[in-house]
Amino acid sequence: MEIEEKQAEVIDHFVKQASAQKGSALGSVVVEATSHPSLFAFSEILAVPTVAELEGTDNSVHLEVLRLFAHGTWSDYKRNSGKLPQLVPDQVLKLKQLTVLTLAETKKVLSYDQLMLELDVTNVRELEDFLINDCMYAGLVRGKLDQLRRYFEVQFAAGRDLRPGQLGSMIQTLSNWLATSDNLLVTIQDKIKWADTMSELDKKHRKELEDRVMEVKKAVSVKCSMTRPF
Amino acid sequence: MEIKRMASSSSSGLTFKLHPLVIVNISDHYTRVKSQLNPPPLTSTSATVNGVENQQQAPRVYGCVIGVQRGRTVEIFNSFELLYDPSTHSLDRPFLKKKQELYKKVFPHFYILGWYSTGSDAQESDMHIHRALMDINESPLYVLLNPAINPTQKDLPVTIYESELHVIDGIPQLIFVRSSYTIETVEAERISVDHVAHLKPSDGGSAATQLAAHLTGIHSAIKMLNSRIRVLHHYLVGMQKGDIPCENSLLRQVSSLLRRLPAIESEKFQDDFLMEYNDTLLITYLAMFTNCSSTMNELVDKFNTAYDRHSRRGGRTAFI
Repeated sequence: MEIEEKQAEVIDHFVKQASAQKGSALGSVVVEATSHPSLFAFSEILAVPTVAELEGTDNSVHLEVLRLFAHGTWSDYKRNSGKLPQLVPDQVLKLKQLTVLTLAETKKVLSYDQLMLELDVTNVRELEDFLINDCMYAGLVRGKLDQLRRYFEVQFAAGRDLRPGQLGSMIQTLSNWLATSDNLLVTIQDKIKWADTMSELDKKHRKELEDRVMEVKKAVSVKCSMTRPF
Repeated sequence: MEIKRMASSSSSGLTFKLHPLVIVNISDHYTRVKSQLNPPPLTSTSATVNGVENQQQAPRVYGCVIGVQRGRTVEIFNSFELLYDPSTHSLDRPFLKKKQELYKKVFPHFYILGWYSTGSDAQESDMHIHRALMDINESPLYVLLNPAINPTQKDLPVTIYESELHVIDGIPQLIFVRSSYTIETVEAERISVDHVAHLKPSDGGSAATQLAAHLTGIHSAIKMLNSRIRVLHHYLVGMQKGDIPCENSLLRQVSSLLRRLPAIESEKFQDDFLMEYNDTLLITYLAMFTNCSSTMNELVDKFNTAYDRHSRRGGRTAFI
């Protein structure tokens, strides 16, 4: 997961900055963090105590922006644009990239129409440019663009920050996966036993046939030797 | 009696590349000689008994290795067998010369790079043979194959020795030094080695058929995947309970991994899969049909022959 490696240093840097400052100064840190081109993970910054303190104060709007970038999409921003400060173009781009990641969470095949609706893009050319340059080259997603059927098949998408409830569903998915693979292992073992049994049966059958052939041959040769002398 | 001295690594700076053909040749030579000396055992159990008894009598086979030397890289391509004369402790020279000429005609670039033998360790008597070969190649190689099968050993039982002049106790002596080597394959060698490796299941299990062997391979692969997923599951459960501090970067990676499931579920896959499955079944059915009809044909022929003879002997009209 190359993105995680690339992000690790940037995350450390911002966490240090956030813990060093307080209050309104954190606002500029938040803006810097959300416009940084290779930072897509914000839950570490959210966990810094000075940032959590912003809740309920005049500067809580910065906390809201951080939360939006951690879990929200472009449509969330549009709905609440009254309460949130104006976003810099870098932030807009990043929010759109994160929106693509969220869309890839639920479905593997994203239609161009849906993407254009979510991202506020009017023509296909712009959409494809955005997907190719900003999402694939940044390493966020890997997939195939199908222009004829107007689909984007996602093969790999980087993870976004986890919402508190998502851990439970991830554990559920993992246990399902485990159960399926256990069943599969049992099935394969049965098949192996079946293959061995069938080959045993086949060998026995063949041996029986050969024994019978030998007996008949002996009987015929005895008969021949009895009826021969004349 | 000279004390056996061997340095652990060579200092000549040559890199050696060994082709699998050489290893197969040497082991084939050894197996042939060994099975010709002792009567071949009838069952596998008696083979192990014989093997233990005959360890002292394990014959040593000798031969030459040939190849190319380009600069500092020595590449050993092929090998051929030589007769060892125990009375003079030397290899059969005229035969060697004849073989060398023959090989030169087919492979003009190959030179005699050294010689090979089997055994568990290099011995002093080998130095005589080594010195004798020094007139063909100033610094010959000695390839040693250890024919003892050791199931726990992971590396190949092949060692390459070079000779170096070391000053020991004031006397310059030639001793064997071990060199490292890499295996280099031509495409044809890789295919044949791969093919042979797949014929026999590597862990010697009870897989009677090739199908069972293939399934066993898949089984072990899925088991490994299973254990890894179990570790992840355990880790996440621990994180949820709070035993382990939350590490966000890992959680993000796990979530992106889980998003790749289900890997293949589209309709198109089902269609293609069923089509291929049906094609395979059809072809098997067709092959079975052909088999049955040919057996039936043979049966009818035999039947006719049997009845014809019967009627001819009895003088009755032919059964048509």
